[in-house]
Amino acid sequence: MLLVYRIPREPSRHRVAVWRKLRDLGALYLQDGVAALPEDAVTREQLEWLQLRVREAGGEATLWEGRPGTVAEEDELVGAFRSSREEAYRSIITGAERLRRKAQMGGGNVLEELGKLERGFRVERRRDYFRSPLRGEASEALKAAREAARAGGGSAGALDNGGGP
Amino acid sequence: MLWATRRSCHVDRTACIWLIKRFLDPEATFSFFGDPAEAPEGAELFDVVGARLSHRGEDCSFETFLKEYGLGDPVLDEIAEIVHDADLMDDRYGRPESDGLDAVIRGMQLALPDDDALILHTDAIFDGLYAYLQRETL
Repeated sequence: MLLVYRIPREPSRHRVAVWRKLRDLGALYLQDGVAALPEDAVTREQLEWLQLRVREAGGEATLWEGRPGTVAEEDELVGAFRSSREEAYRSIITGAERLRRKAQMGGGNVLEELGKLERGFRVERRRDYFRSPLRGEASEALKAAREAARAGGGSAGALDNGGGP
Repeated sequence: MLWATRRSCHVDRTACIWLIKRFLDPEATFSFFGDPAEAPEGAELFDVVGARLSHRGEDCSFETFLKEYGLGDPVLDEIAEIVHDADLMDDRYGRPESDGLDAVIRGMQLALPDDDALILHTDAIFDGLYAYLQRETL
């Protein structure tokens, strides 16, 4: 689905709110004011509300169903959706590995930070419409970190021998 | 009274339907349409672009219902937070229940034949949520 919209520059908060919502949904901008999302019941509804929001802010917005004209272009778009999630997955993987090492060295309480990463992962998964290849890796890294945290006691102050700054 | 909304209900609409039946109109009947142009005449529309009972500003439709009907029930206010987070996915209230509710109702949409079947099940879910929160809240 495509949301094609134009929204007044000022006040900028509407513009930013729409941009932020599209980002949170995992939309890709094909051009300025042209955002694409794979169609399902949820994305369709979210885009409809966004369309309303743009109109309420004094802008123009139309919602389209469409697909790229060629298989190659479609593949390219799917690839772009996948790679748009990679950076977030990478930082989850790095964070999880760090927490796993910290837990294995008895580095005190990692559960809170781990919980944050796990929440972040669920958010990414929800907007990872085409299963980015790093999803599995991120999931494994989180599992390993959680296992290490459980094995190490993980709770506040447990084995807090030099794990601090 | 006849109430109408769009087909393929998710958290916000199923919650509104439960709210209507339990708190506003015990005799309510519901109709589901594909396009607003097909909405039955004389029905009260909700969660539909341009309707009185719909998204408003940052609020989802369930929140609009509570405001519009002045339902000052702290348990319903809590349910509104959960529904908001599940519907708008903006983590405004950080309610952990939202993720689970979202998953369960999304799954029921896939598993059940239509919205009429869906809302029987979701009514039970919201009854349960209400009972649970009532115990916690009051």
